[in-house]
Amino acid sequence: MSESKFNYDMLVIGSGPAGQKSAIQAAKAGQHVAIVELDSLFGGACVHRGTIPSKTLRENALRVKNMRQNAALADFKLGEDTEMVTLIDRLDEVLKSHDKYMRKQMDRNNVERIHGRASFVDNETIRITKVGGDTIDVHAKTIIIAAGSYPRTPDNIPIDHEHIFDSDSILSMLYLPSSLTVLGGGVIASEYATIFQALGVKVTMIDRYPTPLGFLDSDMTDTFVKAFNNMGGSWMGNQTVEKVYWDGVSEVVTECVDGTVIRSQKLLCAAGRLANVKGLQLENAGLILNDKGLISVDENLRTSVANIYAAGDVIGSPSLASASMEQGRRASCNALGISTGMMSQLIPAGIYSIPELSSVGLTEKQAREQYGNVIVGIASFEEVARGQISGNIEGMLKIVADPQGKKILGVMLVGEGSTEVVHIGHMAMLCNADVDIFVESTFNFPTLAEAYRIAALQILAKRSE
Amino acid sequence: MSTLSSQAQLMAEPLEHLINRGGIEVPMLPEVANKALLLAQNPDSDAIEMAQLIQSDQSLAGHVMRIANSAAYTPMSNLVSLQQAIARLGMGVISEIALTAAIGAKMFDTPGYEKYVAGVWHHALATSLWAKEIARHSRSNVEVAFLAGLLHSIGRPAILQTIIELAKQQQVDLIEEDVHQLENIYSHRVSEAVVNLWKMPRLVIEAVSTYTDYNNTLTSNVQAAQVTIGARFATHMLTPELLDKETLFVLPDLSTLNLYQDEVDKLLSQTAAIRARLEGLSS
Repeated sequence: MSESKFNYDMLVIGSGPAGQKSAIQAAKAGQHVAIVELDSLFGGACVHRGTIPSKTLRENALRVKNMRQNAALADFKLGEDTEMVTLIDRLDEVLKSHDKYMRKQMDRNNVERIHGRASFVDNETIRITKVGGDTIDVHAKTIIIAAGSYPRTPDNIPIDHEHIFDSDSILSMLYLPSSLTVLGGGVIASEYATIFQALGVKVTMIDRYPTPLGFLDSDMTDTFVKAFNNMGGSWMGNQTVEKVYWDGVSEVVTECVDGTVIRSQKLLCAAGRLANVKGLQLENAGLILNDKGLISVDENLRTSVANIYAAGDVIGSPSLASASMEQGRRASCNALGISTGMMSQLIPAGIYSIPELSSVGLTEKQAREQYGNVIVGIASFEEVARGQISGNIEGMLKIVADPQGKKILGVMLVGEGSTEVVHIGHMAMLCNADVDIFVESTFNFPTLAEAYRIAALQILAKRSE
Repeated sequence: MSTLSSQAQLMAEPLEHLINRGGIEVPMLPEVANKALLLAQNPDSDAIEMAQLIQSDQSLAGHVMRIANSAAYTPMSNLVSLQQAIARLGMGVISEIALTAAIGAKMFDTPGYEKYVAGVWHHALATSLWAKEIARHSRSNVEVAFLAGLLHSIGRPAILQTIIELAKQQQVDLIEEDVHQLENIYSHRVSEAVVNLWKMPRLVIEAVSTYTDYNNTLTSNVQAAQVTIGARFATHMLTPELLDKETLFVLPDLSTLNLYQDEVDKLLSQTAAIRARLEGLSS
């Protein structure tokens, strides 16, 4: 095909974090770029159904929790008929400013936005079906698939978005429920379970694994479960759900294989997410999904078809907005031959539960498997003045160092502020700094960052042993 | 306003004045409807309380039992008690039946326009049922969609009643065309006033207020679009000669909810079930 036949240099499918960054990067490199988005709203699930709405609710949940904790300052109780919309009251403003910012950025870079469903005709041709049924075929030299993901619905969970919700619809509940069952033990389940519990909802979290967030060390998840239980929540691990149904009157019934029955007013099913590739007709481009239902890519984010790249949730783990943005940017750079340097494997993970959790690098368990007798330093937020002042004493920070107690292999935190404080350790690791940097540097006082010094001092002490 | 007849223009100013000072006479939300709504939302309430509430109004109890036993709700069954009906259909459905029975055309005194008002109400009921299914399809709240769909045109009978009374008081002779012109101008503002007065949930108020122009709001625009599209589906189902399938498929509003043609087709496949439910509720 001659170059004149191309409508665009690059066509990006999906306008979430990965798609946006792909498009902007390519446009900044002088390419003629379009983004196809099947939703009339720009920004993907992250903006409209996931990350931003849930974090807006979380801010209010934290306020409620703090007011309850400080009963001497304010005798606070949420009304029985509190509407959900009241609890995400700032969402409209947040979304509007985000939408305005994104649109401006796209316009400034001359990225065309197309509302429609994309499907492959061949590896260079995309058919776009508009809502009204009109179709157009566009040709692009490079195509980036950044179509995101949607909630997985197990066969035995009859989601009706009225009593039984998924993670996309949970925030559309009209009223704050009195009780909620959360199925799942992953990031989304943990975030919503603790947010609703902090709002005073009686939450029961059920999962087939023994602990939630199983990819973290057990001391972190134990602290998380303890904090969740202290708020009044119930964690039920090692449970297999057999059947879920609405009793037809007022409760959702969850029956487990061992005979346990849990009743709640509403239920959230957070059983993971699936790549949003339905309808893309990938086979027409010569692409096939891997056994996880994802699009496989190489280290350059290139698929098995030379001119097609993929980024974000469609390629699977880590499925974080932060990582998706960087993947999107890199996919464009790689397609255009722009040098990017190696993509760091050090991607921090942030879990916006209450309390927050965050980690970067190896867990203690992984480090022991790879390095043997690693040295670990732990600081409880109880030992840190800032933790005491703010009542944030449930948290802890852990540094995992190599057997010599020098190289930092991983940093993990649980407690409010974790998703910010982790970046100190993250930067130290990126600079290949030794554990000593935390002892030899001066931190503001009082800050949670001091926990780094306490944990590092422990490692130094163990080093001499 | 310039297209109004001279007679209608005589009415416009006092109507405007009445609306601005909140003087439109709006009936209170019937207590039974209000309580049914509250009971359905209250996690601590049970079927017994709901049954007691409905039993307190004999004609309502009969109406609920008739609908509960209709083919649309419980085919092949014979429910003999309200509690049994509630257990089978659930508090939410029973409260919907009670709500639609307690409010409606008969709340307003509109001599000469009874048939028209009954038609408006029938359309509102159909809108609520369609909006609910559209909401379910769009993975959003079905309760808001139902209530907002049901009440989106509640201002029509309310303003009609006012126009008729005012015209009588001021001895102005209005032809039917004048009445409907005035109704079209003012009904939306009155709908807003009614849902506010009835203290509906915030999202319902926002959806009813913005469904005619929902592009300025992000959080409630989905619900507002569900009402608009629900009303279009209702029109298509009840009067296909006014809105045929081809026109329905290319409505610009479908774009807001990303209802692609296959999805519209999927929704339309529920027409028979929705028609049956509508007939049940209207009986």
